[in-house]
Amino acid sequence: MDIQNTQSQMRKGVLEFCILSIIRQGEVYPSDLVERMKSANLHILEGTLYPLLTRLKNAGLLTYRWVESNSGPPRKYFVMTEKGLTFYGELERTWQELADAVHALTQPQADQSSEETQPQP
Amino acid sequence: MIPIEESAYDMLKQYVESLRRFFANEEGRDEIINDIEGRIAELFGESLKKGSTCITDEEVNKIIESMGRPEDFEGEEGKVHSQLGGDDKQEQGSSAYESAGAPPRGRLFRDESDKILGGVCGGLANYLRVDPTIVRLVFALISFGAGTGILLYILLWVILPSKSLQHTSSTKRLYRNPEEKVIAGVASGIASYFNIAVWIPRLIFAFPLVIGIITSIFKSAFWFDVDPFPGIVFGSFGGTLFVVYAVLWAVIPEAKSASEKLEMRGEKVDLNTIKNTIQEDLEGFKTRAEKWGGEFKDKAQQFGQEFGQTVGQKGQQFGSEAGSAIKRGGSRIGRAIGILFKAFFLFIAGIIAFALLVALLAMIVAGVGVFPLKNFFLEGFWQSFLAWSTLLLFLGVPVVAFITWVIRRIMGVKSGNRYLGFTFGGLWFIGLVCGGLLAASIARDFDARARDKQDYTIVQPASGKLIVNVPDAKVKVYGRWFKMDGILNISDDSLFLNNVRLRIVKSNDSLFHISSYKYSNGADEVSALHNVKEINYGINQQDSLIYLDRGFSLLRGTKFRNQSVTVNLQVPVGKRIVIKEAVSRRLNSFHISTGRNDWDFDEDWNNDYGWSSDVEYIMTVGGLERVNKNDTIENNDDGENSAVEKYKKSKEELQKEYDKKQKEAEDLKKELDKPVDSTKYHYQKTVSYSQAPHAPKAPEAARAIAAEEVSASSEASRIIFMQMVL
Repeated sequence: MDIQNTQSQMRKGVLEFCILSIIRQGEVYPSDLVERMKSANLHILEGTLYPLLTRLKNAGLLTYRWVESNSGPPRKYFVMTEKGLTFYGELERTWQELADAVHALTQPQADQSSEETQPQP
Repeated sequence: MIPIEESAYDMLKQYVESLRRFFANEEGRDEIINDIEGRIAELFGESLKKGSTCITDEEVNKIIESMGRPEDFEGEEGKVHSQLGGDDKQEQGSSAYESAGAPPRGRLFRDESDKILGGVCGGLANYLRVDPTIVRLVFALISFGAGTGILLYILLWVILPSKSLQHTSSTKRLYRNPEEKVIAGVASGIASYFNIAVWIPRLIFAFPLVIGIITSIFKSAFWFDVDPFPGIVFGSFGGTLFVVYAVLWAVIPEAKSASEKLEMRGEKVDLNTIKNTIQEDLEGFKTRAEKWGGEFKDKAQQFGQEFGQTVGQKGQQFGSEAGSAIKRGGSRIGRAIGILFKAFFLFIAGIIAFALLVALLAMIVAGVGVFPLKNFFLEGFWQSFLAWSTLLLFLGVPVVAFITWVIRRIMGVKSGNRYLGFTFGGLWFIGLVCGGLLAASIARDFDARARDKQDYTIVQPASGKLIVNVPDAKVKVYGRWFKMDGILNISDDSLFLNNVRLRIVKSNDSLFHISSYKYSNGADEVSALHNVKEINYGINQQDSLIYLDRGFSLLRGTKFRNQSVTVNLQVPVGKRIVIKEAVSRRLNSFHISTGRNDWDFDEDWNNDYGWSSDVEYIMTVGGLERVNKNDTIENNDDGENSAVEKYKKSKEELQKEYDKKQKEAEDLKKELDKPVDSTKYHYQKTVSYSQAPHAPKAPEAARAIAAEEVSASSEASRIIFMQMVL
C-alpha cells in the first residue's frame, strides 16, 4: 500500500468540497483560490484546478464572468449558481456526517457533547 | 507580444501539448487548455512587468511546476473524475498491458495510443520507426488489391499484444496541413513532408485537369464536340489522381496541434535514418533470436496445455476489443464516409464549375468562330458593339476570373483584395446587360414573317414517274458546324442555309406541279418580304429526275432572319414518285408527316410514319401507297414501322397480306413437320413463333383498321410531308 497514494486520495476526496466552499463566499479568480487553499495548507496544482472548475461549470454548479485585466488576457472569475448552492449544501451535510463518524471512530473516548463544532477547512 | 526564448517556447509548446494529450478525452478540453494558457500568459505578463526582458527556460519551468505536469495529476484526476460521477473515458480495456511500463525496444506491439482500428499499423510503424500513415497506406493498398490486407490485419490484431507505445517525436510525420489548403491540405502536407514548394504537389494533382481543360478547349474549338468531361474527369490519369487524393485525405491525419505541426515540418526523413534504424534492428535481432529460441522452447511446452485456454481468452479479449473498436471504428468510418461525401460533393461541384468554365471557353471560341457569321445576324453599329461586349464581359470575365482564382490558389496567394471581386462582378454584370439588350434587339428583327410563292415549270415525265433527288452540295461540308437549325456552312461572303423541307400532296389535276414557298422573318412586313425575295432556291429537272438544291445562300448584306423554304410537290392520282435514298442520307432526320390540306404547314410537321427511300409510291385517291407490297416485308423490318404501315393499308390489301401470311404459316408448319437437324430446328422454331401469331389476329385487325380507314379517307385526301433538314 502506497502511503502517498492514500494521502493524496484522502485529500482529493474533499478537494471539491473545499473549492466550492471558497467560491460560495464570493466571486473568485482561480489563482487566488489556489493561494487561499495554500494558506490553509491544502496544496493544489493549477493544472488540476482548471479541469475541475470547467467540469463544475459544465455541470451547472458554477458560472463565470470575464473581467478585464491590465496584466494579460481577461480573467475568468467564478461564481456559484443556485444549483451549486444546493449541491454544496448536500456536500456540507455529508461532510458533517463523515467528520462526526471519523471523529467518533478515531477518538472513541472523547466527549460526545462537542460534536457540533467541527473544523472547517 | 511576449518575448520568449526559443528553447523556452519549445518547452512551453511541449507542455501545452502534453496537457492537451492528457485532457484528450475531456469534454471541455479546449476550454481547459485556453484557461491554462491564459493563466500562463498572465504569469508571463507579471514577470515582464517585474523587469525581465525575455521569458527564459527557468521561468517557464517555474510556471510549469506551479501548474503541475500531467504526470503530477495523473492519479488524482481519475479519482476526482469518478467522484464527480463522470464517465471515465480513458481506455481501460488493456490496462494490464499498459501498466507493464515502457516497452522493450524491438518487440512488436499493437499501439494502444495511436490507433484507428486495433493499433496494428501504429505498432508496426513504431516498430519499423516509420510514419504510421505510410504503413496504413500500404495496408489500405493491399486490402484493396487482394483483400489479404484485411486478413493479415485481423491476424496481427489477434496475435499481437497491445501496449501504449511512446512516440519519439523526432521523426517526421505526414499530416494534412490545415493552414494552407485548397481542398483538404493534402498537397501542402506533402509539400512540407518533402520540403518542397507547395505548388509542386498541387500542380501534380491539378496537372491532368489542366491538360484536360486545354485539350477540351482545343477539341471543342476544332470539332465542336463539347463533351470533354468523361475524358478528363473519368479518364485514367486524372481519375486515379482524384482517387489518390481522396484516399490521402481519408488516411492522413490533419495537423491540428502545434506539436503535430512541428512533426509535420520536423526532421527530414532520409535514407540514412532508415538505414540506421534497420541496422540497429538487425544487430538486436541476433540476441533477440537467441532469447526467443529459449523462450520458444518453454513456450512450446506451455503452449500445449494453455492453447485451449489462451485461445478462449484471446477470443474473449479480441471480442471485447473488437466491440470497442467497432464503436470507435464506427465513428472513424462515419468520418471517412463524411470525408468521402465531402470529396464527392467537391467533386461534383468541381465538375459543375469545370463544366461551366469549359462551356464558357467553348462559347468564346465559338463566338470567335461565329465572327464571320455575325454580319449575317447583326445590323448596325450598336448590335455589333453589344455583341462584342457580351462576348468579352459576360463570357470572358468569368473565365479570366476563374483562371485568376486557380492560379492564386495554386500559388497560395491569400487575397485580401475585394476590389478584384467587385471589378469582375461589375464587368460581368455589364456583360449581362449587354447580352440582354442584344437579345432584345435581335428579337425585334424577327418580329414579322412573310411568305412568297414561286412556281417552277416542269416537263411531265413520260413514264408517269418522278424521281426526287438531292445532289451533292456545292459547298463542301467539313465537320459539324453549328447545329443551329439549318445553317450548313458559312464563308466570309455567304451563308449557306439548308432550311428546306419537302412536302408531297395530291395534285388537283393530272399533272405534276412543283412550287416553293419561301419564308423569312424581319423587323416589319416590308423588310421580311425583302428578305424573302433574297432567297434564291433552285430546282432542276432531267427527264424524270428532279434535283432539289440542298440549300440556299444568303449573300453578304443579307441578314439571317430564319429564312426557310418548303418545296411543294403535287403528284396526280395514278402517278408514281420515288424519293431517292440520297435525300434521306444527307438529312439529319427524314420525316414524312400527315397533315390537313391547309397551308399551315409551317408548324404542322407531326406524326411521321414509315417512309422508305428508293421505293416507288403511287398516288391514290386515298393518298400515297406503295406500289410493290413485297417491299414492305423486305424493307420494313422494324415493328413500329410495319404497324404504322398496316394502318395505312386498305381492307383488300390487308386481306391479301392475310392470305399470304396464312400461306407462309402453312408452309412453315409443313416444314416444321419435316425431320430436321437440331440447329435448323431451332431456327425454324423461332421463325414459326414469330409468324404464327399473326395469322389468327389478322382478320380482326383488318376489320378494325378498315373501319377507321373509311372515316379517315373520307375526311380529306391524305397529304404526305417529307421534311428535309439537311
